[in-house]
Amino acid sequence: MISCKDIKVTFNAGLATEKRALRGVDLEIPQGEFVTVIGSNGAGKSTLLNTIAGDIRASSGKLMFDAWDVTGVSAAGRTRDVARVFQDPLAGTCGNMTVEENMALAYGRGRRGGLKPALNDDLRDLFCEQLKRLNLGLENRLGAEMGLLSGGQRQSVSLLMSALQPSKILLLDEHTAALDPKTAALVMEITDQIVEEKQLTVMMVTHSMRQALDHGTRTIMMHEGKVMFDLAGKERSQYDVKDLLNLFAKARGDGEELDDDKLLLGA
Amino acid sequence: MSLFSFLGTLEIGFIFGLVAIGVYLTFRVLDFPDLTVDGSFTMGAAIAAALIVSGINPYVATICATIGGAAAGLVTAWLNLRFNILHLLASILTMTALYTINLRIMGKPNLALIMEPTVLSPFESFGIPNMYLKLAFVAFVVVLIGLALAYFLNTQYGMGMRATGANPRMAQANGIVIKEKIYAGLALSNGLVALAGALFAQTNGFADSTMGIGTIVVGLAAVIVGESLFGSRSMLVIVFSCIIGSLLYRLAVSAALNADFLGFTTSDLNLITAVLVGLALIIPHLRRERKARKAAAGGAS
Repeated sequence: MISCKDIKVTFNAGLATEKRALRGVDLEIPQGEFVTVIGSNGAGKSTLLNTIAGDIRASSGKLMFDAWDVTGVSAAGRTRDVARVFQDPLAGTCGNMTVEENMALAYGRGRRGGLKPALNDDLRDLFCEQLKRLNLGLENRLGAEMGLLSGGQRQSVSLLMSALQPSKILLLDEHTAALDPKTAALVMEITDQIVEEKQLTVMMVTHSMRQALDHGTRTIMMHEGKVMFDLAGKERSQYDVKDLLNLFAKARGDGEELDDDKLLLGA
Repeated sequence: MSLFSFLGTLEIGFIFGLVAIGVYLTFRVLDFPDLTVDGSFTMGAAIAAALIVSGINPYVATICATIGGAAAGLVTAWLNLRFNILHLLASILTMTALYTINLRIMGKPNLALIMEPTVLSPFESFGIPNMYLKLAFVAFVVVLIGLALAYFLNTQYGMGMRATGANPRMAQANGIVIKEKIYAGLALSNGLVALAGALFAQTNGFADSTMGIGTIVVGLAAVIVGESLFGSRSMLVIVFSCIIGSLLYRLAVSAALNADFLGFTTSDLNLITAVLVGLALIIPHLRRERKARKAAAGGAS
């Protein structure tokens, strides 16, 4: 489904502040796979995700969605296949528009915006039905301004919005990081439900090793712009957070202490 | 205030309602502060007047004026999107260039339309007194456009435009091509403002190269007055609050100028405008501060 061939991303090329964020990533993700991505800050996790989403253009390399070469396609163009949820709950929705308007926007993803009213009663029924799944009572607040909802509520709605239109790929960028543990668990539960239901190919960036192992079917760790290791199948099922930490230290080859609090806390 | 001047005030209020809707589209919907309107208002008047004087049908002339304004908006959008020039600066550049272009269009600093046909000519045979006819015509056109715009902002395309201004990243993630929306929004906004200019020239009988100065402040004033009166999220209410804001603003200015004991003259207009807009901005701020203080005091006790 997603195929990365030697993807390189360099920021500020040729300047003193040059940063080689991705140094040649090769990755094949087949249809229906749920990949969790871990790595310390600056490892290139988010850059990889944003490159697949189209926010960042690869400096070199090739990116394909099945037979579709998307290397030069804009972020908006890629939304035909890609839905995403951001880390910041405020980023995925428009605070000054109502819940139903936000959902109507997501419902129009990948379609040409026409001059028909974006909302109608059929759509409201559909949105209502979807919101009921959250058990947050939001189905009675379709007309409320998004900005009045809590972060967790907004993130839950963002997640529903990503699934309103059929898509093939779901990109999750630490989408539970800004939430309290209880809400995070709820959001993860809905994530798994949606992925299962829609048979999506998923890439989820996370800071929590626990989450990385508990969800999905495959785990990759990024380090200094490269995929450092790639776990799947039986091997992965035998791994625990401790093993992952050991592997991380070993692969770095210097036995260096982990300096990333989040990585440890998340475990 | 005489009936005549009262009707005249309402008429100008309606015309500037179009300006207010245009300003609302850029400043509020797209979050793109656009000062091009000072130039596109004059441009609308200039194109309409020049074409009418040269014998073109006033309706055709008015449509051409609207298209001219839309083109000016596209230039500003292009400067900003293609070359990354700050939106304010891009719009000031277009506005400055338009000053010269408008003089060229008219061929001289002002054109009179006293004996020329206008968009009102077909209705003059009805025998309605001119001052009522002008007001009715302008009100009809502006209300119609207001309705159309409120509908537009609730369509898939219009909602995409609102998302573009509110959260461009989210818009993009939902497949909205934000550049296209900004081009379209600026064209629409300046087209409406130019239409206002064209109507103004025809109802007031002249076009002048300096008539557009301060258009942006008046438009913004109307938007702010409207917003502070109606706090709704309904597009219909918001669009009409722009128009009502424009009417109230005109009435307030007119009242200030007519109150003899205040001793204002028409040359004081800009100061009055600035003070009114200032008050409309300051009062809600003070009210919020007082509310916050009260809430803090209430929480402490």
